[in-house]
Amino acid sequence: MTRLGAAPLLLFWALPLLAGLAMLLPAAGDSEAWRMALAHPQLWPALALSLGTGAISTLLALALTLTLLAGLYRSRLWYSLQSLAAAGLAIPHLAFAIGFGFLVMPSGLLARLVIGGEAPPQWVTVQDPWGLTLSLALALKELPFLLTAGLGILSRGDAALRLRQACRAAASLGHSPGSAFLRVVLPPLLKDLRWPLVIVFVYGATVVDMALVLGPTQPPTLAVVIWHALNDVDTAMNGMGLAMVLLLTAALALLLGGVALVLRQAHGPLHRLLTVGPSSLRAPRGLAALVGAFALAILVLAMVVLVILSLAPRWPYPALLPPAADGAAWMKVTAAPLWLSLTLSLAAAITAVMLAMMWFETQAPSRDRWVIGLALVALALPQMASAGGQYRLFLPLGLTGTLAGLFLAHLTPVAAYVLIVLAGPWRSFDGRYVAAGRALSASRMRALLAVKLPLLKAPLLTAAAIGFAVSIAQYVPAQLIAAGRFSTLPMEAVTLAAGGNRALTAAFALALAAPPLIAFLAAALLGRPRWR
Amino acid sequence: MALRLEQVSIRLGDWSLIQPLSLTVAPGETVTLMGGSGSGKSTLLSFIAGDLDPLFTAAGGVSLDGAALGGLPPEARHIGRLFQDDLLFPHLTVAENLLFGMPRGARAERLAKVDAALAEAELPGFGDRPPHTLSGGQRARVALMRALVAEPRAMLLDEPFNKLDAELRQAMRRFVFEHIAARRIPCLMVTHDDADVPPGGRVLRLKDGKVAHA
Repeated sequence: MTRLGAAPLLLFWALPLLAGLAMLLPAAGDSEAWRMALAHPQLWPALALSLGTGAISTLLALALTLTLLAGLYRSRLWYSLQSLAAAGLAIPHLAFAIGFGFLVMPSGLLARLVIGGEAPPQWVTVQDPWGLTLSLALALKELPFLLTAGLGILSRGDAALRLRQACRAAASLGHSPGSAFLRVVLPPLLKDLRWPLVIVFVYGATVVDMALVLGPTQPPTLAVVIWHALNDVDTAMNGMGLAMVLLLTAALALLLGGVALVLRQAHGPLHRLLTVGPSSLRAPRGLAALVGAFALAILVLAMVVLVILSLAPRWPYPALLPPAADGAAWMKVTAAPLWLSLTLSLAAAITAVMLAMMWFETQAPSRDRWVIGLALVALALPQMASAGGQYRLFLPLGLTGTLAGLFLAHLTPVAAYVLIVLAGPWRSFDGRYVAAGRALSASRMRALLAVKLPLLKAPLLTAAAIGFAVSIAQYVPAQLIAAGRFSTLPMEAVTLAAGGNRALTAAFALALAAPPLIAFLAAALLGRPRWR
Repeated sequence: MALRLEQVSIRLGDWSLIQPLSLTVAPGETVTLMGGSGSGKSTLLSFIAGDLDPLFTAAGGVSLDGAALGGLPPEARHIGRLFQDDLLFPHLTVAENLLFGMPRGARAERLAKVDAALAEAELPGFGDRPPHTLSGGQRARVALMRALVAEPRAMLLDEPFNKLDAELRQAMRRFVFEHIAARRIPCLMVTHDDADVPPGGRVLRLKDGKVAHA
């Protein structure tokens, strides 16, 4: 029974993931691939761009997150952060990148709103050679993710309660709210944010779809160089791509290790700052409100631009609104990629929740650290590594270009997120409810179906919605494993973004953004408790 | 219909939580097992209920009315339990909570039993209420009725009065023991409060895994 419960998760998720990663080992020993990689003229500038965009976007996202948390901690606006985080989290990276690009490009809505004039301004935004637009878009898109992580630590559970009490104690010892936040809340907060930060940094330094839309081109980021190599028809180029993936991964690990080392050295001096005594530092209320309003405005405007463009094939500068609306682009959206993406994502989300439930129900909590650790590895590794390895694994098995392969490739990141999201609620469930049910003659199954699952309804539905949103946004594994046989929404959107049809691009970006939003709303609606 | 423990012992790894313990609880009798926190008294109740955490290993036999319970799943043992918290299912109404464990039968009959139980608990008309709208004392009475309408053949009480207000506690003790005595079923209670012991009830004290009769 216990063994069997673990089998599905291990077979359909852990095995393809680990075996895929193992397939990277032969690539590491391919000397010709390494020679080609190191001789590539764009290697070092592209690597610098990748590390730069990753670092800048992560630091910026962290600064914005901390400003919001410090400014609004224990204030009335605290709970509105939850809505901002949830709304931002629901928008797929690619859809946001396309909307953000249309917003900030010279003839975009931003220029029309703030510059005006007869002709678009001469500014360089989208695909700027320094990757600044990409970094900014990444920072704004990761802000909701870091906020969610921070809010989870500061709003829920016993730890949050203890922190609030510690703040009261600090206040009674003469600390202003700002001083108390800095000295009491920030240290544990940063400690708990370290894994989310690693995930954000690796994501930013290795992202493909956003970099294709917003990133520099001559040279592009290393992720884009690798991406073109992996998709090349020449197998030697594929090998070079994998070598570069390993190089990029090693560079990221080295950089992160270096940062960890420096932080360890700086620990003493930083800690002395905590005990210099009370200060009257004020919480950055105004700044936080400004940052929050700015982030929300960008998120909303990026979506508004998409709506306008999707309905307007023609939108002459500097008009704020297009002269006429036209639904032609929307007629083309309801094509095969939409249905494939929807069914694939629904299947992946439901499967991931079922696999996670079977694991948690049958395995001892002490075993969780293995699967949660593996899930963190899956999320913290560059996707081109896990998906690139999986491609090598699926090719000889005949799984590339099949629906089964596509499904497994989507399940890999989806199950990782679902496991991480469900572990907390599932393991902190008060088991005495089940014991009470069974003492009332309920079988194991009935106690699960009639007591435990209804009480865990909200986290289950949230996990499913997150899984669905993660799945529908997958570009790298979809493109690699589909092998040209299938097309999903993100694949279609990336292709369109490179072309000139703005209305169709916007319509597909919205088609990509709408389903996760609907999934989250449905989860919130259906997950409401029976009584308030 | 007596509840019998024969040479029951429970271990956690190398640590002997309960040393071999034999005990017979007669129908209508309430035996109190006293012990500090961590003495393993709640673990013993979980073992009797068939719900022992797999971390523990147990030996010895439990029988109810002469029938051995060993190996039976909790739902097949017909042993009711009360916990420190009422544990009313928050997603079910009071009536639905009562119906949860009630044996199957004609719907009208079962609903009549719900009404009768609510009347006994001095909560007539509370059936459609969500549990969280009831006071602590009301919830505790519903929890007892929920256990009793499942027609248990024995009851296990795990510090059931611990979380009640001091003034409620005495009334609740009387309510619980009267109802259990009226059903002529054996009852084993664990607690660390001497005031919980029903008048004239037998008391065992658990110390370092051993029982001293008092």
